[in-house]
Amino acid sequence: MTDTIQKAAMALGGGLMALGIVGLGIVEMLAGKPYGAAPLTNEAGAVVATPAVDPVLRTGLVLAGLAVLGLYGVYAAVTAEEATDEAVEAGTIAD
Amino acid sequence: MFTCEAPMNYQNTPLTDTVDVALDGPWTQYWLAFLRLVTGWWFFHAGVTKLIEDGLAFTYGPMYMKGMTGTALGPIPVWMGENLAWLIAPGVPLFETLIGLALIAGALTRLAAVGGVIFMTLFWLGNADFGNGLVNGDFMGLLLFVTVLVVGAGRYYGLDGVLENTAFVKRHPKLRYLMG
Repeated sequence: MTDTIQKAAMALGGGLMALGIVGLGIVEMLAGKPYGAAPLTNEAGAVVATPAVDPVLRTGLVLAGLAVLGLYGVYAAVTAEEATDEAVEAGTIAD
Repeated sequence: MFTCEAPMNYQNTPLTDTVDVALDGPWTQYWLAFLRLVTGWWFFHAGVTKLIEDGLAFTYGPMYMKGMTGTALGPIPVWMGENLAWLIAPGVPLFETLIGLALIAGALTRLAAVGGVIFMTLFWLGNADFGNGLVNGDFMGLLLFVTVLVVGAGRYYGLDGVLENTAFVKRHPKLRYLMG
């Protein structure tokens, strides 16, 4: 069960971050200028091209991925078993 | 000839089985410790220079948060800037300094790294320096803290390696989630 949750967290967390950074980054590139995630301006400061994908969406996906990994860390810490006296004395605590 | 012998398995990592770097010898530990040291110095320097200049009244902090409109965090940063100025003004220099010291010493490394992740997330979104894409210096800094956190870099040449061997921590292994 724990292994399944761990794998799910790794897949979902990493997947969301990869989607936000790489997946939508490819879409951004294919859509043409500005290629990056900020508006392109001319010398007068006027916006001449805006990102195809809202950076708020992309950064939001990354944050969601980090949140998934963070939640898994909290879950792992909460569900970790405390050591028994026997185990401490015997020095057999699992690292 | 470059050979790969038995893979280094981070058996000391509480999140064991999640990290298995196929490198042999001491270089991975050495480099993770160095990475932790430099990341710690980065934050310590940022924090302590604010303390020197502004003491515990870093008023730019709340102002910065108030300006964080239209980010993926929604209204949270602005609300924090407006309502938690009493915490942010002293907290930014203080926590930056403490996070830096913790990483330099390798003590309570994971707890400190979580703080660093929060800081860098706010910097990444607040600075929004996305002209060359989302992956910028702020994001790389965020990834540095996540890396330190995931691998538990405090145990390599750090105090967490000592603390984790104390009877108290062995009796309460959950504490390792806050350490290296």
